[in-house]
Amino acid sequence: MLITGIKSRPVYDRLTPFPEALLHLVVGQGSGGTAMSRLIAEIAPGADIEVMYSTESFTGQNHLAALKDAAPGRFDWFASNAALSQALHDRLSQAFMGTRLYLAGSESFIGLAMKVARQFDLNADEVLREHCGSLVRRVWCVHCDTYSENITQRVFSCSGCGKPLVVRDHYSRLMGAFMGVQGDAEVPGELPEASELDT
Amino acid sequence: MNAGSSVGLIPVIVTQVEDVSPGVRLLRLSPEDGHYLPGFSGGSHITVGIDLDGDIHLRNAYSLMSSPYDTSHYEIAVRRMDSGRGGSRFMHRLREGDRLGVSSPVNLFPIQIHGKLHIFVAGGIGITPLFPQLEELERAGAAFEAHVSCRTSEDATLAHRLSGRFGSNINIRYTSETGRQDFAAILSRRPLGSHVYICGPSAMIADVRSTARALGWSNSHVHYEQFVEQKTGKAFDLKLARSGLTLRVPAQVSPLEVLEANGISIPYLCRGGACGQCETRILQSDCGIEHNDVWLSESVKACNSHFMPCISRADGGVLVIDL
Ligand code: FES
Repeated sequence: MLITGIKSRPVYDRLTPFPEALLHLVVGQGSGGTAMSRLIAEIAPGADIEVMYSTESFTGQNHLAALKDAAPGRFDWFASNAALSQALHDRLSQAFMGTRLYLAGSESFIGLAMKVARQFDLNADEVLREHCGSLVRRVWCVHCDTYSENITQRVFSCSGCGKPLVVRDHYSRLMGAFMGVQGDAEVPGELPEASELDT
Repeated sequence: MNAGSSVGLIPVIVTQVEDVSPGVRLLRLSPEDGHYLPGFSGGSHITVGIDLDGDIHLRNAYSLMSSPYDTSHYEIAVRRMDSGRGGSRFMHRLREGDRLGVSSPVNLFPIQIHGKLHIFVAGGIGITPLFPQLEELERAGAAFEAHVSCRTSEDATLAHRLSGRFGSNINIRYTSETGRQDFAAILSRRPLGSHVYICGPSAMIADVRSTARALGWSNSHVHYEQFVEQKTGKAFDLKLARSGLTLRVPAQVSPLEVLEANGISIPYLCRGGACGQCETRILQSDCGIEHNDVWLSESVKACNSHFMPCISRADGGVLVIDL
């Protein structure tokens, strides 16, 4: 999924269990639900598993019922990705070494969750990320620090400052999003041609 | 001072010598020109050029223990090893005013600054890098603790200095009285984002690493530095194919040290067969190769196509290498 020529774009994984984990934290959103259920079935029985799921979805995929059935232990669900990321932050601040995190969902969601994970210094040997669902971009406006979600067009108007942004093919790991830069900064009104994004 | 070991090194003067505990001596090294030495970060080490009788030139690595915020001098601690090549015995004979050459600092044991909690497990002379490391963490306002093992209270001078400097974050244990540290207790239920740094004898490093693994710690949060003791072997000839030079490698000197003493610099970092920097191609040999590194794969070692001159050697005869 998401095979493009963009070098900075994260390379995603396929979720498989970390056998050495003391706690498996399975976190996802929307169409990520299928990957989450598949993973839970692969984790050795008796292991400590906690599941967090957000039903916010661009494409309307909802795996809430199936996940509730699959989750053997604690299960929490949230109506928005923002609420889930806050809860993830709270959970990680109570967690111990030996925790492994699994993320499944859209690139926007994974970017949001990775920003939380990075605050706890979680490295590639502790987090796996599986991209699921639609190929839309999450864009960070360099002018007003606002994130716009689910962007499919090269030029769009920023949901924060309203400036016409051009989406760069540069994914910032720090911001967890693609960079959006004002398109007509040199000559007001002169914008690159509107086009579908290569997502 | 003999030119041999100091080729390409920074000239320093021993400005202070202090015996802190049985067999452990602190040396303060100041730049010969009275200016400043290269800056470094906590966990760095330098190599010191050592000239022994009989034209033997060694380089030993020592962790820096002075402040990274004051490079008017370096301070190192040397434990005397009565067996071994004689490098530490040379260091213990130094007096104030003696001249030496040292390399620029290299850091293979840096602080992971994004960590939430930094846990140090140290034993014996391994305590030395903690001084600059904890100072860095203290300045950054980061959370840290250190668990230091000493055999007896006599051996604990440096540990007491550390706790005098950093207070209640330092926990000292006398292993001859109360047995070894309980590593599982130190590493259990620690906050997510913790890092452990192990500095001590190889058995301690192995114990802490396996305890951490069993408790689900991932490798990226477990750090250690091991100074391997150079093994002595047989003398042999090292022939450099490109320059046609033939150099004699004495029994207690590594091929890397011989190259350096002759002004030939090749890349190195760890000097212990772990980092891969010094890897060199073998062109021809009429002898066995002792591969003492952990870098090359078993199959490469078996066909003797490459070797690591910082730690490996030939067992006599002539070894022709691609240099
Ligand atoms: S210098 Fe690191 S392997 Fe030789």
